Amino acid sequence: MMPLLASLENSGFGTWVRESSSLWAYPTILFMHTVGLGFLVGLNVAIDLRILGVAEKLPLAPFEKFYRVMWAAFWINALSGTALLVADATTKLTNRVFYIKMACIFFAVMSMVLIRRRAFGAAADRAAVAAPARALAAMSLVLWAGAITAGRLMAYFGPVSGAPGLQNRLP
Amino acid sequence: MVQAFSTWLHGTRLSWAVAGGVPWIWPLCETLHFMGLALLVGIVGVFDLRILGMAKGLPVGPIQRLMPWAILGFSINLVTGSLFFAGDPFQYIHNVAFGFKLLFIGLAGVNVIVFYVTGLYRHVDGIGPGHDAPLAAKVAAAASLFLWVGVMYWGRMLPFIGNAF
Repeated sequence: MMPLLASLENSGFGTWVRESSSLWAYPTILFMHTVGLGFLVGLNVAIDLRILGVAEKLPLAPFEKFYRVMWAAFWINALSGTALLVADATTKLTNRVFYIKMACIFFAVMSMVLIRRRAFGAAADRAAVAAPARALAAMSLVLWAGAITAGRLMAYFGPVSGAPGLQNRLP
Repeated sequence: MVQAFSTWLHGTRLSWAVAGGVPWIWPLCETLHFMGLALLVGIVGVFDLRILGMAKGLPVGPIQRLMPWAILGFSINLVTGSLFFAGDPFQYIHNVAFGFKLLFIGLAGVNVIVFYVTGLYRHVDGIGPGHDAPLAAKVAAAASLFLWVGVMYWGRMLPFIGNAF
């Protein structure tokens, strides 16, 4: 397994992302990953809060339109995340925290899909949303918080990765 | 003056604690900074995108009820951001990206103030489901999105254009 990861990491693309001094390499990809996070998690949180009873005067149904933005942000992050992963394949893919992050995202996206089915159907305009949708919304908040936490802690647990010169402060 | 303040700040117990004296304060603040970012961008995003014409079924007024959560996100980031600064002021005060980040946050603030002071806020507050916002409001909403994405850009560039982390 390790030789495969090493060849990924040392591929032309992996090396460019990690070691290029261009702002378009690691810095811009990381920036895209942050913007994607902001819109994907942020809009999910807005919908979750509404389902949980904040701003009940807002009709829920129109929020479905934001799913387009959320999916766009999801794909931006899937792509930018893959690039960052290739650049540090040997360290990130051997880091347990990475798999915790992936699990959180998997279940968070599942709940995003399920919320669309459960809360944006015929019942969407009722001020109070059914209990299963509320449970999903609460779960979504916890899972996204988990994904953010795991993502950040990947820099502190396990093997060190990232662009040379970009070192996090190890406690 | 900035230099003197930074020197004083760097000598405080708080600075020592944040900069690693108390383990895990720094990573904890980083994690909270990302959560605050998501709260702020998500809620402000709902408002700005609605003004720009997405999800027009939403009446604009009641979106204000979500705003305390955006303010919470901003406050979390103001506190955690100040702690980063306290932890290592010298990596920020000569950092171009940090200067631009503060400038963009300031401009986003000015944008909000203009929105209220010009009365655009009251005008927009009454916009019901299906109705368009006036052009001036759309310009303000687009500026807001641009500026907050810009804040994320300069924040991300702190280690690369400057050399902070």
